[in-house]
Amino acid sequence: MSNSIYATLARQDGLLKELQVVANNLANTNTTGYKTDRAVFAEYLVNTGTETPSLSMGALAGHAFDLTQGTVKFTGGQFDFAIQGDGFFALQTPDGQRLTRAGSFQLSSTGELIAPDGANVLDAGNTPIQIPAGTETISVAGDGSISADGELLGQIGIFRANGELQRDTDTRFTAPGGTEALQNAAVLQGALEQSNVSPVLEMARMIEVQRAYEAGQTLLEQEHQRISQTISTVGNR
Amino acid sequence: MKSLQIAATGMAAQQMRVDVISNNIANMSTAAYRPRVAEFSDLVYQQYLTPGTITSQLGTVVPAGIQLGTGVKASTVSVEITQGSMRQTGGELDIGIDGNGFLEIQMPDGELAYTRDGKLNRSADGEIVTMDGYALADGITIPNDANRISISRDGQVTAYFDNDETGQSIGVISLVSFVNEKGLQAVGDNMFRVTEASGDANRQVPGTNGAGTLRQGFLEDSSVDVVKEISDLIEAQRGYELNSKVITASDEMLAATTRLR
Repeated sequence: MSNSIYATLARQDGLLKELQVVANNLANTNTTGYKTDRAVFAEYLVNTGTETPSLSMGALAGHAFDLTQGTVKFTGGQFDFAIQGDGFFALQTPDGQRLTRAGSFQLSSTGELIAPDGANVLDAGNTPIQIPAGTETISVAGDGSISADGELLGQIGIFRANGELQRDTDTRFTAPGGTEALQNAAVLQGALEQSNVSPVLEMARMIEVQRAYEAGQTLLEQEHQRISQTISTVGNR
Repeated sequence: MKSLQIAATGMAAQQMRVDVISNNIANMSTAAYRPRVAEFSDLVYQQYLTPGTITSQLGTVVPAGIQLGTGVKASTVSVEITQGSMRQTGGELDIGIDGNGFLEIQMPDGELAYTRDGKLNRSADGEIVTMDGYALADGITIPNDANRISISRDGQVTAYFDNDETGQSIGVISLVSFVNEKGLQAVGDNMFRVTEASGDANRQVPGTNGAGTLRQGFLEDSSVDVVKEISDLIEAQRGYELNSKVITASDEMLAATTRLR
């Protein structure tokens, strides 16, 4: 059959997946600490036999996330934190350490600083943060030092991944290569980092995907007509 | 067509946000009401090509892989811990709580509930009760012949009589604090109940151990910031529209596919 159909099919499949990436970004425009996803396409060659030249196809090869800082929104919440610049908060989950930029925390019934699902927030030394009972005000300085009613308790850990980050659910990331504490991180109390999705860019990308998909369908349609024309012309001989 | 379902999760999330905002706006004049905020997080990722997969015998690995997201979900709707402004009412049994803490109320089902709404009243037999007639758990009864009562900042309730200028102490209103106030369960009527997440109720004398103080003749206003709520509402509405556009686009792409034959 016609090679152009195979090449177009590979492209259409990739476009559907790209739309999924765009849809996920748009669904997360208000998700605290969410980082925009990007689909990356790459060409690959298919060997079509010894006599013919090989065929070039495009397919989804990987994805990248855009780690630029989202807008910081001031909430005034005592346990709302945002990171200025690089780094992640570290959480201790049943599946191991997770990194996140979503700093919407609270206290557990025993006074530990936790994420909304109960995962412990870790300090620079990888241990959970305990707030003494009866504390009136918790303040966090720009470098992450936590003090309870003026008494220094420790420091919220801000970490960096060694190597690649991998996405997990709940706006979290895993770092298979391990993490290390950042020394000069900046933390803001009473603020949350908004999603860094740009609705304008995503809409533009969505239109692009849609039109490219329609173009692909038209090409398939014309190929179909061309082949059926060939068959009927040759058949009539 | 995953994008259809993903956009649907986005629309559901924005819808929920509008619900939370409308409840906040509806309670902009409710005494001691604290606004709720909906927080969202992303759903699980479909792993098409896991990062770190070995791609050759030299040990090279896939750097970023292909992980496709599947949408958004609500992670928490939490109460903002805020102090509403104090409004002077002059009411003898109006109590505003300045700082942390809740009043403890004895509910008719025998359980205890907690509130910051200090609009209190006197029952037929002199007990201090809430607007619904539920007694304050401190169990304070005002003698029939008392002509006025005073409540000090540290909770001391004193009754004054016609022939007695010094007054007589009739009880103490205590405040109850929780390690995690956000973990309390709201049950309506400005009341909260204790849960596993909130930790046990700690009774305190007002003004000690981090508890706030009492202000007789004041009520705490709702701390809803209407301007903030309206700007959030606009954001939620536009977010909803954006997601509906994705549904339209996915639909048109499907239509293009079905037109093929």
